[in-house]
Amino acid sequence: MKLPALFGFFVILPVIVLLATGCKKDKPTDEPSQQTLILQFDFLVDGEGLQADTMIYVNEAGNHYMVNEIQFFISDVKLNHSEGNIYQIQDSKTIHYIDSDLPETQSWHVSDNIPAGTYSSISFIFGINEEKNQSLIFPNPPESFMFWPEHLGGGYHYMKLNGKWLDENQQVRPFNFHLGIGQIYYSFPDSISGFVQNYFQVALPNSSFTLEKNQTRKILITMNIENWFRSPHTYDHDVWGGMIMQNQEAMKMACENGADVFTVIIE
Amino acid sequence: MLNIRKHKVIIVLIIVLLLLSVILLFSCKKEDPTPPPYQTTPYHIEIPFGFPTDLNIPADNPMTVEGIELGRYLFYDGRLSGRTHPDSLMSCSTCHLQANSFECGIDHPVFTGGFPHGITGKPTPHVMLPMVNLLWNHTGYLWNGAVQNIEDIVWMGIVAVHEMNGDTNRVKELFQNIPGYPELFHTAFGSETITMKNIGRAIAQFIRTFISANSKFDNYLQGKVQLSPSELSGFILFTTEEGADCFHCHGGSGNPLFTTHLFYNNGKDSIFTGPFEDPRDRYHVTGDPMDYGAYKATTLRNIAVTGPYMHDGRFATLDEVIEFYSHHLVWSPYINPLMHHINNGGIQLTPSEKNDLKAFLATLHDEVFLTNPAFGPPEKFPDDK
Repeated sequence: MKLPALFGFFVILPVIVLLATGCKKDKPTDEPSQQTLILQFDFLVDGEGLQADTMIYVNEAGNHYMVNEIQFFISDVKLNHSEGNIYQIQDSKTIHYIDSDLPETQSWHVSDNIPAGTYSSISFIFGINEEKNQSLIFPNPPESFMFWPEHLGGGYHYMKLNGKWLDENQQVRPFNFHLGIGQIYYSFPDSISGFVQNYFQVALPNSSFTLEKNQTRKILITMNIENWFRSPHTYDHDVWGGMIMQNQEAMKMACENGADVFTVIIE
Repeated sequence: MLNIRKHKVIIVLIIVLLLLSVILLFSCKKEDPTPPPYQTTPYHIEIPFGFPTDLNIPADNPMTVEGIELGRYLFYDGRLSGRTHPDSLMSCSTCHLQANSFECGIDHPVFTGGFPHGITGKPTPHVMLPMVNLLWNHTGYLWNGAVQNIEDIVWMGIVAVHEMNGDTNRVKELFQNIPGYPELFHTAFGSETITMKNIGRAIAQFIRTFISANSKFDNYLQGKVQLSPSELSGFILFTTEEGADCFHCHGGSGNPLFTTHLFYNNGKDSIFTGPFEDPRDRYHVTGDPMDYGAYKATTLRNIAVTGPYMHDGRFATLDEVIEFYSHHLVWSPYINPLMHHINNGGIQLTPSEKNDLKAFLATLHDEVFLTNPAFGPPEKFPDDK
C-alpha cells in the first residue's frame, strides 16, 4: 500500500503541477514590452565619409573647400505612424546635439519606449523651434558653446559648419557657415528691427520602418554636406564670404538648401 | 595568628596593587594621543547664475571643508618648496597672486613684466594662466591641456626645475615634522602620514573654490545693473561676427565662463617662424597638425589684471591685444577656421570701437573675488603660536 502512495506523491503530483503551469504559459499575457530606437548620425560628402581638414572637395559653385568641424541641433523628432497618428520622441530632452568631433553625440539612444508598429516616415526640426530656443537652456558644454548672442536673437546656433575654401584669388580663407535666428536690420549693423526664425522641418525620404515588440532598431541619419551648397540655390563662398550670422539672405538660402541634406538608412 | 595577619596583609597588598594597575592603565590611555575620528564635512558649491552645472571634481577627491582648509595653508606656505631658509621659500602663492586673478601679473615685484621664473631663476616655458573657475575646466591644464587634473599640476609645480625644483621626500618629511600639519592631514584625509598625493588633493580642493562670478557683467546678466553705452557697444562688438567676434572662443551671455577651454591657433605666427617650434603647443598633445600653434583660450574674467597676454606674454597691455586682433593677424595653414577675419589681417576696429571693446572687457573685472579673504593667506600657519 505504501508504494502506490509514494508513487502518487512523487510522480503524479509533480506531473499535475507541471501541467497546470504549462497551461498558464498558453494564456495570453499583458507583459510590458520595450521597443528601443537608436538614432545614429554620420557625415558624407559626395557619397563618401567626411575627411575633415583636407581641401579635397568642390562644391556646386566650383569652390574648392574643406570641412573642419560640424556641430548642430535637431529637435522634435516625429515618427509618423502608418495609421495616421504621430509619435514624438520625448526622451529626457527633445533637442539633440551632434558634433563631428564627439563620437558620443553621434549615437542617440532614445530613452522612450516607442510603441511597436509600422511607421511610414520620420521627420524632425533642423535647429530648435521658437518656443524652445531660449537662452541658457543648456548650461553645460558642448551645447552651451552653441549659444547665439542675445543681440542677434538669442537662443542657440542651429549649426556651426566650419571650414576653409580657396577663394577667387587662390587664397585659403576660413568660412563659418553658421545658422540660427536671422535679423532684419533697420540700419546695418547697429539697428535691428526684427528677427527671423530660420529653423525648418526635415522630412526624411524612404524612412518607413517597422518596430516589433521588444525590438531595438538602429536608424542611420546622414548629413550629405555638399547639399548645403547645391540645391535649389548654388551657394558660392566667394559671394557670401566667411560669415553669415548677420546675413539673413545667405542664411535663408542655406536653410532652403537644407531640405534635402539628410538621408536615412534603416538597419 | 601571625599567619592569618600575614595573609590579610598580602590580600590587601594584592588589592592595592590591582587598583594601582587599573589606575595606571587608565592614566596611560589618557596620555595616548588618539587622533580624533576621521569625519569630513562636505563643501557646498553654489552654482552662479548661468554657469555650467557639470563640475570637474575627481571622484577620489571630493571637496571638504577640512581638505580646503589644509589646502589653503599649503598654498600659502613657502616651505612647500621643501626648504626652510628664508631665501628658498616658495609656495603656490609666490606666483599666483589673488589680486591678479591668481597670475603673477605684469606688476609683480620679482617677476619683471609678468614673466615668472622658478626658485633657481629658470624661466617658465610660458607665462601664467589665470586660476579662476577651474571647477568648470574639463579640457586639461596648462596652455596645451597636457595635464589632466589640478592634483597633478601641484605635483609638477613642486618638482619642476622652472618652479619649486623641490624634492618630494624632503617636502613630505618637512611637513611631517611641522607641528599641526599631521593632524590637519588626518582630519582631511584620515591619515597623519603626509603624502604627495594628499598634498595635491588638498591644494586642488582649495583652488577649486576660486569662483569668480561677481563682476559688473554678471550683475548685468541678472538685471541688477545697466551697462554704460560704451560698455554695451563693446558687448555687441564682442558678440557679433561683423564686430570683433570674440564670443565663439571666449563665450558671452550663454557661456559666462568667458572661455570654451578649447585650443585655437589664433593667428599669432606663421608656420615658418620660431614659435611654431614650441614643444608645448596643442599639437604636441594631440599629434593633429591642425593643432600647430594652438593654445587654450584663456578666460577673459579679470582680464585687465592678468597680463602679459598670449602663451608667450608677447603683449603687455590689453590695447596691444586689441590692436593685434584688429590689424595684425598672421595667416598660416593651421589658422583656426573661426578666425574668419584673417584674410583682412583682423577685425579692423576703429579707435572708438577699440575703446568700447576695452570698456566691455573691464566689466568682467570681479573685485569681490580678487579681495575675498577666503581665498587669501591664512592668519597664521598650523605651527604658529
